[in-house]
Amino acid sequence: MGWETDYLSEAREAIVGARSETALEQARVKYLGRRSRLNEALRGAKDISVEERAELNRTKTQLEGVVATAREELRRATIEQALTKEQVDVTLPGLALERGHLHLITQIRREVEDVFVGLGYEIFDGPEVETTYYNFTALNTPEWHPSRSHGDTFYVADDLVLRTHTSPGQVRYMESHEPPVYMISLGRVYRRDTPDPTRYPIFHQVEGLAVDKGITLADLKGTLMYLSRALFGPDRKVRIRTSYFPFTEPSIEFDVSCFRCGQEGCPSCRYSGWLEMGGAGVVDPNVFGYVGYDPEEVSGFAFGLGLERIAMLRHGLPDLRELWENDLRLLRQF
Amino acid sequence: MKIPVSWLREYVDVAATTAEIAERLSIATFELERISYRGVPDEDGNLGLFRVAQVLEAGKHPNADRLQLCTVDVGEPEPRQIVCGAWNFGAGATVAVALPGAVLPGGQTLGRAKLRGTVSDGMILSERELEIGPDHAGIIVLPRQWEPGTPLADVLPLGDEVIEAETGFNRPDLLSIYGIAREVAALFNGELRPMPGREPDRAAAPEPVDIRIEDTIGCPRYIGRVFRDARIGPSPEWIKARLTAAGMRPISNAVDVTNYVMLALGNPLHVFDHRTLAEGRIVVRRAAPGEELRTLDGEHRRLDPADLVIADAERAVALAGIMGGEETEVGDASADLLLEAANFEPVGIMRSSERLGLRTEGSNRWEKGVDPYLAEHAAIYATELLVDLTKAQYVGESDVQGDLPVRPVTRLRAERTDALCGIEIPVTEQHRILERLGFAVEEGGALVTVPTWRARDVTREVDAVEEVVRIHGLEHVPFTLPLRRDMFGRLSVEQRLRRVCEEVLVGAGLSEAYTPSLVADGAVRVENPMNVTMAALRTTLLDGLVESAQRNLNAGNERIALFEIARVYLASGAQLPEERLRLGGIVEGGFERAKGVLEALYDTLRVELRVERTQEPFLHPGKAARTNAGWLGELHPARLEGTWGVFELDLPTVFAAVRPVPLYEDVITYPPVRQDLAVVVAEDVPAGALVDAAREAAGPDLREARIFDVYRGAQVGKRKKSVAIALTFQSSERTMSDEDAAALRGRIVQALADSFGAELRT
Repeated sequence: MGWETDYLSEAREAIVGARSETALEQARVKYLGRRSRLNEALRGAKDISVEERAELNRTKTQLEGVVATAREELRRATIEQALTKEQVDVTLPGLALERGHLHLITQIRREVEDVFVGLGYEIFDGPEVETTYYNFTALNTPEWHPSRSHGDTFYVADDLVLRTHTSPGQVRYMESHEPPVYMISLGRVYRRDTPDPTRYPIFHQVEGLAVDKGITLADLKGTLMYLSRALFGPDRKVRIRTSYFPFTEPSIEFDVSCFRCGQEGCPSCRYSGWLEMGGAGVVDPNVFGYVGYDPEEVSGFAFGLGLERIAMLRHGLPDLRELWENDLRLLRQF
Repeated sequence: MKIPVSWLREYVDVAATTAEIAERLSIATFELERISYRGVPDEDGNLGLFRVAQVLEAGKHPNADRLQLCTVDVGEPEPRQIVCGAWNFGAGATVAVALPGAVLPGGQTLGRAKLRGTVSDGMILSERELEIGPDHAGIIVLPRQWEPGTPLADVLPLGDEVIEAETGFNRPDLLSIYGIAREVAALFNGELRPMPGREPDRAAAPEPVDIRIEDTIGCPRYIGRVFRDARIGPSPEWIKARLTAAGMRPISNAVDVTNYVMLALGNPLHVFDHRTLAEGRIVVRRAAPGEELRTLDGEHRRLDPADLVIADAERAVALAGIMGGEETEVGDASADLLLEAANFEPVGIMRSSERLGLRTEGSNRWEKGVDPYLAEHAAIYATELLVDLTKAQYVGESDVQGDLPVRPVTRLRAERTDALCGIEIPVTEQHRILERLGFAVEEGGALVTVPTWRARDVTREVDAVEEVVRIHGLEHVPFTLPLRRDMFGRLSVEQRLRRVCEEVLVGAGLSEAYTPSLVADGAVRVENPMNVTMAALRTTLLDGLVESAQRNLNAGNERIALFEIARVYLASGAQLPEERLRLGGIVEGGFERAKGVLEALYDTLRVELRVERTQEPFLHPGKAARTNAGWLGELHPARLEGTWGVFELDLPTVFAAVRPVPLYEDVITYPPVRQDLAVVVAEDVPAGALVDAAREAAGPDLREARIFDVYRGAQVGKRKKSVAIALTFQSSERTMSDEDAAALRGRIVQALADSFGAELRT
C-alpha cells in the first residue's frame, strides 16, 4: 500500500482549509464518505492484512477527529462574527439600582461605636428626658452652677430637663453595674443655644466611661489618641489641656493636631495647629459617692465630644444646620 | 481676661518669651484665645520715629480755620512744620510726635502729607492714636521735664503685647494679673514678686467710718476707707494705657484706681462720693420691697428683696458687687471719697446679675468666689494709688467682718498622684509645685494647707493631685490603654438589628434623615422653649419626614425616599415620659412602595409582616394599614403634593419578634410540587385572609402561598374578584406525591369555600 500517508495529509489540508460548513461537508464526503478511497479500501478488507486494516482504521479515526475539530472551529468563528455586530456604547449608564445613603452622623456614630467595641466597651444610652438629679446633682454639679440655669437648659418640670449631655446615662449604668465598667453613650442632647453655623439646640454627643482598678489619666490620654487616630488618620497627635468640669478631677480638654493644614496654621484651627475636640477627665470621687463605688478601690476616666463637630471638621461641612435639613443632594454626598 | 505682658512681668521674673509663657499657660492654666498687641508696633526701628517735641510756634493755618500750623523742635538741627487739628496747646507745649515713615497702631504708615496746601512733616499725637486711651479731643501734653528729641518710648507706654485668654469658672484668682503671675512663676520656676501696695500714712487723728453689715452671709467683709481733699482728674498715661490694653475704659483717676487694682489683684472695688452718702454711712443689706436704684449705666432698676445692696442711712446707693448708683458717683467736683474693698458671696451676686441681665467686670469675679482675705490687700494698694494720684488725704478706715473661712487642709499621698495620673512625679517635686502655688506643705508632706485664694476649688486630695499634674506638665503624661481583665465589648442584639434595618432601607433606596425632636406640640412640653415651633417633644416621626420631603420637593430633587430611626416621647404616668425608638419612612410612590419596603425589611429580619386595614387621619382612608408595631399607608393627599407611601414602626416591638437563632429546615432534599389556584370571592374578602385560611387548612407541608394576581371583570361577576395563589407543597421528610398534593389542595379549596364562599375558578 503506502498511499495512506499522502491521503491523510491531503485530506487534513482539505478539511482544515474548508471555509464554510458546505465546503467542510464536501471534504468529509470526499475523504470519509462511503465512496472515499479510504472506505473502499476498508470494504476490500479481505484482500488486506490485519496490520493494514488497523492502519486504515487509525487513519479514519484521525480524520474523523480533524473533521470534528474543524466543525467546532467553524461554529465558533460564526458566533464570534455575529457577536462583533452586537457592540454597545459602554459609556451609557447601566440599569438603575436605587440605593440610599446613611446620614453622616450615623456613619460617624458607627465608626465611634466600632472603635470602642474593639476596645472592649459596651454601648448604652439613657433617657433624653432626665431628672435634674441624674443630669446635674449626681454629676457633682452644684445647685448654683450656671449650667442649671433656665437660660442654658430646657426644663420640662422643676426637677426634669432635656439632658444637656449623655453623662446621666453613665450614672444610671454605674448604679446598675459593678465595676469594671467600660461603656460609651451616644445620643441626642439639648442646650438652649441660638442656632448658628456651629450650634443647634439639638446635637449628638458621645461620652465614654471606664472604671476599673488602676485606671489613670494616661489611660485616658491613650484612649483619646486611639479614637482620634481612628477618626482622623494614623498620623494625628493628641494633646490635653487643663480645664474644669464638676464631674471630673483633674479635668482636661483634648485637641487633635490639625489635619486640614498639617499644623501649618489655617482658619479651621485658628492658626494654632490644634483642633479642640472635647472635654474629659478623671472621674471625680464625689460621682463615685453617688453610685456607691469606693474611690480608693477603683478609679475611672470619662470623656465627651460632639458628633456634629467631627462631621464639620473631617468633612469640611461649613454649617451643621444642613445636617437637619435632609436635602438629598447633601445626603447623597456621604 | 486680657493680660498686658509688661504688667505681668512687673510681678514675675522669668526669661521666657511671651509666646512661651502663653503656650504653657494654655496647657496648664487657661484657654488661650490669642496674643494681640496694643499700641505702636515695635519692629524695624519704628519706635525711633516717635519722639518728644517742643512746640516753638503755633498759629492758625492760613487756609483752614480749624487747623493749627506749628513749628516743632523734635531734637533735630532744623525744626519741622506740622499741621494739627487740636487746639488744647500753644507755643511752648511739650508734645508727642510721630515722624513720616512711622507705623501707627493699626498698621497705617504716616506719610509726609500736604494739608490745605501746607506740608505737614509729622503728626502731633493724641491718646487714641497711640491706643493709650479714648481721648481724641486734644493731643497729649507732656510734662516740661522732657527734652525735645527724647525717645517717646522712654516717656509713654507706646506698645504692649496682650495675652487674651478664657479662664475657668473655678479659678477667680486667674481674673487678675497677679494671679496669672503666680501661675507663671510656678510653671517656669520664676520669682514671684510680693503683692503690690504699700500702706501710706493715715491722718494723725483718724476719723471714724460708719460701716454696718446686716447680712454677713451675703457680705462676709467690708472695708471702708475715707479720703479728704481729693483732686479728681484724668489718670496718668501709664494707668490709661494698661486699662486700655486690659479692655477697660479710663474714666477718672479715682475710678481708674479701683479698676486698676481689680485687674491687678482680682478684688473688685468701688468708690463713692462720701458727701452724697446720707450720714456718711454704709449699710450692707438686702433690698427693701419696692426699692429702686438708678445705676451707673443710667438704667432705672426695680430691686428684688433677694438683691444685696449697699445703702447709706436712707436708701440703696449701689447694687452690691455689680454696679454703683448714679447719685453717689464720683465726679470732677468730688473731694471726699469712700473706698469700698469688700467681699460678697458668689451665688447671690450671680442670681441678681442674672435676674437684672447685668453682667459687669465686678459680677464676673464675685460670682466665681473671690478670696475674702484679698480685700485688705486691695484696700492697701488702692489707698496708695489714690493718695498718689488724687493727692487726697487718707483719714479713716473701718473693717467689718463676719466669719471668714479657714484654709482647707487636705492630705496628699504622693503615690496617689502617680496612681491617678499614670506618671511618676517625685515627692519633692510634688511638694515644690504646691509650695510655688502658695500651698503650705506640712513637715513630712502628709498634709497640705490650701491658700485662701484657692479655698473654694481645692478641698480634697484629688484637687491637690490636679494642681501637681497640671503644673508638672500634662504633656509628660504618657499614652497608655486600660489593662482590661474582665470585660468584652459587643453590640447588643437591638443595636445589631438597628444596623440591619439601616442597611436594608439604604439598600431599598431610602436615605437616612435626621429631623428635630423638638416640635410645636406633644405630650411632653418644654417650660422654657426658644420658640413656639420647638416647644415640645414629638410623639411621631411623620411630621419631620413630611417636612423633609416637602423641602426636597421644593429643591427639585427626584426619587425622594427618606427614613429616620429616632425616639418619640409619650406620656407614661410616671415621672419620666416613655421614650420609644421608632422607624419612620416616606417614599415617593404610594402604598405599594411603602409596603414593599417593609416587606423587604421584615423578610430580612425573618419576621412575618401581618397587616390589617385601619384608619388614621393623616393617611388615605382607603390605603391605610396597621401592624402590631405601627402603621403604614399612603399619605393623605392633603398633607403633601403627590403620591407618598409612609410608615412608622415601634422598633422594640418589631425586634421582639425576631428569632435570635433560626433553626435548620430541610428545603432541599425532597422536591416541591407547585400548583396555581384561582378562586372567586366577594370583593371585601382580604387576600391575606385567603392565604391564612389556606395555611391553616394545609398545615406545614404548604411551604409557600403567594398571591400573584387579582382579577376583576365580567367573567367573575359584580362585586367579586378572582384571586390567584401560587402554592408550593413540600415535605421535609418525604417526597410529596401528586396524590398528597391533590389532597392538600382539596382541603384548601374546601376551607376557602367554607369560610369565604370561594368558588374555584376554572
